[in-house]
Amino acid sequence: MQKIMIIEDEPAVREELALLLENEGYAPLAITDFTEIPEQAVREQPDLILLDIGLPGRDGFSLCTALRKTVPAPVIFVTSRDAGMDEVRALSLGGDDYITKPYSVPVLLARIKAVLRRSGSGPEPADLLEAGELRLSLTKGAASSGGKTVELSRNELQILACLMVHAGQIVSRADLIDALWDNQIYIDDNTLSVNMTRLRGKLAQIGLPDAVRTRRGMGYQL
Amino acid sequence: MSLREFLSDRLGRTALWLICIGLAALFLFATGTQSGVLTLLLIVLLLVFLVVNLSDFFRQRARLLELETVLEGLDRKYLFMECVSRPKGLYERRLFDLIRRAGRAMTGEVSAARASQREYREYVECWVHEIKTSITAARLICRELDGTILRKLMVELAQIEAHVERALFYARAETPEQDCLFRQVSLEKIVAQAIENHRFLLISNGVRIETTHLDHMVYTDEKWAAFILGQLLQNAARYQGTEPVITLSARPLGRQTQLLVRDNGIGIPAHELPRVFDRGFTGSNGRSRGGSTGMGLYLCRKLAVFLELELYMVSQEGDGTAVTLTFPAGENLTEL
Repeated sequence: MQKIMIIEDEPAVREELALLLENEGYAPLAITDFTEIPEQAVREQPDLILLDIGLPGRDGFSLCTALRKTVPAPVIFVTSRDAGMDEVRALSLGGDDYITKPYSVPVLLARIKAVLRRSGSGPEPADLLEAGELRLSLTKGAASSGGKTVELSRNELQILACLMVHAGQIVSRADLIDALWDNQIYIDDNTLSVNMTRLRGKLAQIGLPDAVRTRRGMGYQL
Repeated sequence: MSLREFLSDRLGRTALWLICIGLAALFLFATGTQSGVLTLLLIVLLLVFLVVNLSDFFRQRARLLELETVLEGLDRKYLFMECVSRPKGLYERRLFDLIRRAGRAMTGEVSAARASQREYREYVECWVHEIKTSITAARLICRELDGTILRKLMVELAQIEAHVERALFYARAETPEQDCLFRQVSLEKIVAQAIENHRFLLISNGVRIETTHLDHMVYTDEKWAAFILGQLLQNAARYQGTEPVITLSARPLGRQTQLLVRDNGIGIPAHELPRVFDRGFTGSNGRSRGGSTGMGLYLCRKLAVFLELELYMVSQEGDGTAVTLTFPAGENLTEL
């Protein structure tokens, strides 16, 4: 399990963040004593550090410089200061990413994952998704089953990927739209229906006409 | 100051002078002074009178011109009294001192007002950061909730955030040079940021967004540009028609880059269009749909001026609105 050190002075945010990271399968380590933070980091050897800028006593910028010297872990700044100047300063001091509050939870998680991957301590993202007989290659954008392969459009690919990640569960239309917006596909409800029909047509071509079931009033299920 | 103004100003004094000379001449004539001597005396007196008055006129005119030049050359006109030389005459000197004292009191007021404005701005920034921390905590807490309630709360939280953001940028717009950071940045990134900032509002309103040809680099401040774009997206979502679609596309225009934001909403009546960027203007759309503060577009224009961004809006009632943002040519600015 990857250890993530949380340096955040606001108790509500700190505790909720720790809970969230724990649910996501990380080992959060929320600091409550804001003295000798670099020493604490050396002792704990975290895989990643989430650092606020407005801290009591010592500001996050100087802390980042100190942390850089003592531990190899990447540092993500998480702060409500959003001026361009702060961001440039944070990144030039060795920060690996800069996230401004209020962040949305999926964005935060995605960026933590990306930084962990860059630093070599996270798993490579799976290229191949599998659910039953259905296989989906994300880089090729192609779905295959029983030796037959069909190419998918960008939208269809993301819809199918989202369903396959949650295979067996019901995924609501709103969740699907959310997942698409995460990938810079800004569609509405009607467009989702159109894409869903096309996706089903393509799945029928490879012999899986009823792979995606409609659960009336709830969403879709693979 | 013309000679005529000068003379009319001294009319009383001149008249008194002439009467005195006349009376003196009459007295001398009556007491038996020869008329030749009298004429000579009168000519000399009149000459002295002319020379004194003309030299007065030219001296005063030169002094006024000098003062005028000093005032023209001043950036902060209220510091005028600190920059001019002290006059020589007793009366003018006293007057000068009085005005200078008044001026100093004024300068004190101005700097006190400046300081309090700066403090207020700092407080607003500080307050905004506190609120954002609370919104963050609220978002994190919300994630445990069930779908529908979560979405509704997210929309409200996003709404709070949008208002907070406007307050922050309003405070920043007073002294933009402190926060602006011009950089080469991809237009795609700015657009994605603006959409992400308002995704809850856009999704809950069933908006579809089409983005095309955004692979351009522009030279601007990323956050500010995303804020401006965000205001346009919010308006498009608020004043939507049926099946709302927002199209974002860019094209190069010489060395500049033009971003077109087009929606198929209810549009703006032609007679209101020239006033949409005015502070506090809400228009008939704002009144009928509610929720308009008249601040969004006003801030857009204010920030755009500083970013050297051209904002141009066309609209057809019932058809939609299109806003063109022209980003300045990057190369020119980089050389500065």
